Amino acid sequence: MSVTNGNGLAKAKEYCSEYGLRAKELKAEGRQIIGYLTAIAPVEILTAAGVVPFRLKGWVSEPITKADAHMETIVCPFVRNVFDSALKGKYSFLDGMAMPHLCDSIDRTNDVWSYNLDLPYWHFLNIPHVTDDPSIEFTKSVLRSFITSLEGFTGRKITDQAIVEAVKQHNENRSLMRDLYSLRKENPPLISGVEMMEVMVAAMSLPVDESSALIKSVIEEVKRREPPAGKKAPRIMIVGGQIDNVAVAEVIENANAWLVMDDITMGSKAYWPTTDITPDPLQGIAERYLRKVRVATTYIDTGDTYEENLEARFGHMKRYINEFKVDGVILFVYKYCDPYGFDVPAMKSFIEETGTPVLYLEDEYSTSSLSRVKTRVEAFLEMIA
Amino acid sequence: MAEQRVPRALATAAAAKIPKMARANLSATVRAKDEGKKVAYSFIVVGQDEIMRAMDIVPAWGESFSGISAAKRDAEKYLQRAEADNFSRSLCTYATCNIGFDMWREELGGAMPPDAPWGGIGRPDMILGTAQQLCDPRYKWPQATRHYLRDVPVFIGGMYYPAWDPKIDHKTQEEYYVKYNTAELHRCVEFCEKHTGKKMDWDRLASVVDLTDRTWNLFVETYELRKTIPCPMDTGDAMNTMVPMAFMLGTQESYDFFLALNAELKEKIAAKQGVVENEKYRLLWGAGLPSWFALSDFQYFNDKGAVFPVETTYRCYEPVYNLDLPKTSDPLEHIAWRWVRFWTHWYDKARKRPGSTPAVERLIDYIEDYKCNGVVFHSAFSCRSWHAGILLQAEILKKVYPEIPVLIMEGDIVDISSYNEADTHNRIDAFIETLEAYKQKQR
Ligand code: SF4
Ligand code: SF4
Repeated sequence: MSVTNGNGLAKAKEYCSEYGLRAKELKAEGRQIIGYLTAIAPVEILTAAGVVPFRLKGWVSEPITKADAHMETIVCPFVRNVFDSALKGKYSFLDGMAMPHLCDSIDRTNDVWSYNLDLPYWHFLNIPHVTDDPSIEFTKSVLRSFITSLEGFTGRKITDQAIVEAVKQHNENRSLMRDLYSLRKENPPLISGVEMMEVMVAAMSLPVDESSALIKSVIEEVKRREPPAGKKAPRIMIVGGQIDNVAVAEVIENANAWLVMDDITMGSKAYWPTTDITPDPLQGIAERYLRKVRVATTYIDTGDTYEENLEARFGHMKRYINEFKVDGVILFVYKYCDPYGFDVPAMKSFIEETGTPVLYLEDEYSTSSLSRVKTRVEAFLEMIA
Repeated sequence: MAEQRVPRALATAAAAKIPKMARANLSATVRAKDEGKKVAYSFIVVGQDEIMRAMDIVPAWGESFSGISAAKRDAEKYLQRAEADNFSRSLCTYATCNIGFDMWREELGGAMPPDAPWGGIGRPDMILGTAQQLCDPRYKWPQATRHYLRDVPVFIGGMYYPAWDPKIDHKTQEEYYVKYNTAELHRCVEFCEKHTGKKMDWDRLASVVDLTDRTWNLFVETYELRKTIPCPMDTGDAMNTMVPMAFMLGTQESYDFFLALNAELKEKIAAKQGVVENEKYRLLWGAGLPSWFALSDFQYFNDKGAVFPVETTYRCYEPVYNLDLPKTSDPLEHIAWRWVRFWTHWYDKARKRPGSTPAVERLIDYIEDYKCNGVVFHSAFSCRSWHAGILLQAEILKKVYPEIPVLIMEGDIVDISSYNEADTHNRIDAFIETLEAYKQKQR
């Protein structure tokens, strides 16, 4: 393990800017690396299989040069960018991929990915959107098929005991990350939004034990810090799907604000829900990914009235706003993203009703459109200052 | 659908009946309240039609209403309303067109917005959607609609089929898929019972399911008559004749429509009457929903001597006798098997041709069975469900099958701002030249 105490932040920055660095080393040591997309890939099972789960991200500052020949431009720009990065060879160390059904942009391009990348291992998982009991049972069957196919690939049995161990490790990892988040509650926060994004990006590129060690190291380092002097600035929460880079955080913090909280899939959406250890370990895993991970593709219909339903869907954001003393919320949604796109009016009015102003931005997952984002963010910050 | 700015010269008398039928479907939703019936916003090809029909629920098809608004070039006013409330222009325009309409009606206290195409669509008593059979808007659209129609209950049921994986025999997964889909269809029935106050008549459902099976069979048997040279019916017509299949499945009227179409096509075949005089090129409409505001483009193809004897669009059916459905006494389980087997029935074939996929095998089947010498795809920007993956189909087809000319057109289903008639016609002209060169080469 290459993290030593005291330099966690520097290590995170390195892993973030040279994404995949550690995975390459591990590959050279003979480990198998399985890539995945999004927060609904059951990483516990990959860990239990003895492979390295590696979440794929895009390169927001790189224009798409190879993907357009194979993938339509009507696909969400995040998916296109990640695919483009893979085609450019940035993920040449992958042994395979586990592709969860998140949305049309992923479901309808699964073949495009598998055909063009042609990796030794590929598995698509139909994770449902509805969360009732039959959906849980179905998900358990989907997970069993996944386990069988992984066992076939690695040649090793995945025991229930190994799954339970993996669940514990991932829960610990999530708990550590939440501890780190709590250091953002200070005013000013002890860790900046940009640094936090770097840690989150780095964390998803490491085996779970290394990821936990990194977060621990960052916590120790941050706790030792003197609180940053006096900058009084608005505290911002960002909400959206796949924000996997520091670009937007930089825009926000360069405009004299703090990014103190998020509701994104690389962040709190992934770290808040834990997996229960259940007699059949797949039960707890199915419940986590269906009922606890709150992505826009999770269909939630609890509540007798529409207002109660909104509370069930977005109530956690209200709690974040209070706990992290958020002054303004930025909804950051990619073009061509139906799941998040259809949520915008409901989400925006729900948050605004808490008295917190909201800026909605439709983005293209590219730093080339960042100047427009910058202007809008600056105007928003001026308004709420 | 059905009505266009420049009316297409409809080749079949059957297709000419469609505008009236589509209009009747819409007015049934407006009339329903007076008749004491419940209306459900519904989606096509999700397996819930038969439940609605057996329970006398009037389906209100948002996809149909948006298609009609688009065909009348009258959708923009609804799209703009949705956009004004922060729905991105890049979202499914069937959905945003409907939501814009709903927003307007709510602003008017429930009154029909002025000049609504064909009298508009009725306010629903419930919304039935699915996750996932087909697309994200099938559950996100109902959820977004409820933001404006807050009192309207929504049901979303899971509906899946095994994903294509050349290394996995999907038959080992079918059973748990069917079990799940059946359970979700039962939940749908419970929801409908709760909101109609009526119990399901299971015998009636069984006969609706049987009628639907027979309609699936008859539909494909009828469309197969289009294999004949000259071709008696074009895709331009099929974009109309989809109405009784997609929007009226499980009704006697739908079955009778295809009986009449079947008889008409047989007459045309006997008289050697084709869509196009001097048929020169036979094309497969390989994928994509059409630009409803520009259906006259099919006529443009026809004018160049090109005819489409077959399309994948709206052909989401196969004779059930080809699907080898396991016997069951539960009509809902039968529906579940029918859909799982439909979506997966090209899998075995694809496994036999290394490098191929089920979607490409389907294209190859149609190219060969209908003697096509070109493939045209339409890529509509606002729908990922049918339109992402077209490039891959074209790419694989090129690799695994002898060379065949392919055209990929770009546009949208509803949003006319993406359409340029002159450009489209230029692209078609160039494609016709390619087809001609290809034909010469083949001689
Ligand atoms: S941003 Fe939206 S479209 Fe893109 S992967 Fe996430 S949910 Fe899918
Ligand atoms: S299939 Fe496409 S056009 Fe139809 S509702 Fe879904 S996204 Fe919209």
